[in-house]
Parts: sequence; C-alpha cells; structure tokens
Amino acid sequence: MMRRFALSLLAIVITATAQAEEMKLSVKPLLCITDSRNAVCEMSFLVVWESGESGYYCLFSDYHKAPLRCWTEEREGRLNDDRAVRETFSFWMTGTDTAARLAEVRVEVLRMDSDDRRRNRRTRHVWDIN
Amino acid sequence: MLRQPIQLALLLILILAVPGLADENAENANESRWQLGAALGYGIRSNPLVQSDDIPIVVDLDIAWFGEHFFFDNGDLGLTFADNSAFTASVITRINSDRVFFGNTDTRFVVFDSTGAPLAVPTLFKPPDRDYAIELGVEMLTGGDWGAMQLTAFHDISGTHKGYELYADYSFGWRQQRLYVGPSFGLSYKSAELNNYYWGVTPEEAGTVAFPYEAGAGFNWHARLMIGYQLDKRWAVSLVAEYERLNDEASASPIVATNRVLGWFAGASYRFGR
Repeated sequence: MMRRFALSLLAIVITATAQAEEMKLSVKPLLCITDSRNAVCEMSFLVVWESGESGYYCLFSDYHKAPLRCWTEEREGRLNDDRAVRETFSFWMTGTDTAARLAEVRVEVLRMDSDDRRRNRRTRHVWDIN
Repeated sequence: MLRQPIQLALLLILILAVPGLADENAENANESRWQLGAALGYGIRSNPLVQSDDIPIVVDLDIAWFGEHFFFDNGDLGLTFADNSAFTASVITRINSDRVFFGNTDTRFVVFDSTGAPLAVPTLFKPPDRDYAIELGVEMLTGGDWGAMQLTAFHDISGTHKGYELYADYSFGWRQQRLYVGPSFGLSYKSAELNNYYWGVTPEEAGTVAFPYEAGAGFNWHARLMIGYQLDKRWAVSLVAEYERLNDEASASPIVATNRVLGWFAGASYRFGR
C-alpha cells in the first residue's frame, strides 16, 4: 500500500517537473513605470504560453484568487489582460494541481521619482534622470 | 556687505536644526538610503577659457546617501532642517564648480599681446590657476504638478573668493512610460568677489600677454534638456544637452575666449540596488 502511494507520489512529482520544464510563459510588457503624476499604469498585457504536451492548464495572477482563464486539452494559448497596475505582481501557469506553478513571470512596477525632494535636486550629473 | 547677515542666518539655521538630529535613525521602509549609479558613454563640456581644452565625460558616478536630516550627494554635504508638504530646506556645504575650467588649460607660446599687437619675442603664456572654494549655503526645494524649483544661496567659507552666489532652477518633466523628457532652465547671480576671483586678472598675472582685469557681479543663465529611456529596472539610456551663458563681466575677461559653456552627454546608466 505504502509502495503504491510512494510510486504515485513520485509519478506526480515527475509529471509536474516535466511540465514545469516544458512550460514557457511570456508576458509583454514586463515593466511599468510610475511617478508622482502617474501613480497607476493602465496596461494591456499580452500573455502567451506554450507547453510541450496538451493538457489542462490555468493562468493566474496576483490580482485574483480564481484563474484568469483555463484551457482544456491545449498546448498553447494567449490572453490579453487589461488592468491598472500599482505594484509589482506575477502571472503564473498551473496544471491540474493549481498549487504547483509550472512557469511564472514577474511584471515590475518602477517608481521613478521620490517623495524625498532631495533625490531630485540638480547635481553636477549631466546624465542623471532620477 | 551681505556676508555677515548670510553667515548669521546659516548659524541660526544650524542651531535650529540640531534638536531634530536625534531622529536620524528613523527608516523609510520603501526606499534605500543609498543612491548609487554609474554611467558610461561620451560627452564633453566646453571650456570658455583661452588656451584650454574641453572637459571630456566618459564615466560618471552617482554616489549619494539620504538620511532623515543628513545627506551626502555627490560631494555636497547637507543638513535638512525643514521638510514639509510645501518645501524642503537644507544647509549645504559644497565645492564651487567654477574652478573646474582651470584644471584644463595649456601653456603655449603667444605671439600677440593683449591689444593684438605682435610681440617681439614669442612668450610663454598659461591662464592663471584658481583654487577650489568651499562654500556653505542654504537650499530650498519645492515642487508639484507645475514642476520643480531649486533655490540656493552659497557663501565662501574657505577664504578663497570671499563672495557668494544666488541660484534658481526650474524643471518640468514629461513621462510616457519608459520615455522621459525633462527641460530645465534657470539663472545664477555671482557676486563681484566671486566673479573677480575666478575671471579677473591681477597685474602680476597679466604680464605682456593679458591685461589686468577686474570683474564685477553678474548673472549667468542656463538651459538644459534631458531625454531618457528606461530599458529595464536598472538600465537606462540618456541624452543630455546643456547651455550656460556666462555673465558679461566674466565674458569680458582677457582669459575668457567665449561667453558660453556647452555640454552634452550620451550614454547608458546603471542604477544599483533597485
């Protein structure tokens, strides 16, 4: 009984690893820039994924507990996700086990100015933009 | 005449600021106190002196640390004594920037004197050297949706030029995601003592080539345009052009060849710790 359970567990791990190795996830754009005048980025993200084998896959983001979308018996897919972004967040793909992330991409939010005015003082740096 | 009031005002500000220094350990959790960067590219800053070379810019470092009250910003040492929604004010010690031109001058044989008449014998001439001055002053920063303003008043405390400078700069930036365009312009008033120390010529320095010259006070003005493009969190490319018009008193000096300073730089910059 224990041996069968261990083999099943091993099979799940191997399958998940294989899926993780084969899953490709890309997101564009990867950088959102904010400043004091534009504290939010209104972005349209193009999310594209491709797997080595057909299966059940779901796309998640930090913004929702529920998947943005799931695909059944597919090996590739894409989604346009329009949203207002304030903080760095991630998109990730899962298989049937939604706790295991097969691929993950982080979208960075970069605040370009500072509340500290001294950081924006004019110095002798000709190239400095922030 | 203005020296004593300025020094008294600075002393008063320092005294008022001291009680606030106990809070120096307060941390802003979201922002590192360090600001470290480096730029690699090429640019020049022209030199208005006669017999001088332009100042090349290839590598530039940005090293700054901002505490609650104290800060170090690329050679400037500051003590912030007021910071509120309207403005930030600091007492700052810095090194005067006019000296930079005097480190790139050449010694050459000259065949004409200061009036343009030919010399009997070619004479060696080098523009006179000048020392760095350490200055103490007050800086006020303010800004909002309308842009940013920087106002400063600095006085020599090293006994070098014994003068003062008043400065104002206005900047406004437009950002479209990764692209940033930032023009700025302003002016500075240089006192007669400051102007004369750097741009004047004493009878001893004049010799047969230059004529003795005493510079009075005057206004410089400047304009700058910066275009930057953020490649990722740490890398950016930027193009900067800067124009500074020297005051007439400095421009009329026999050791000054042109009344303008032009600068530009194009390169890539890297910001550490983001």
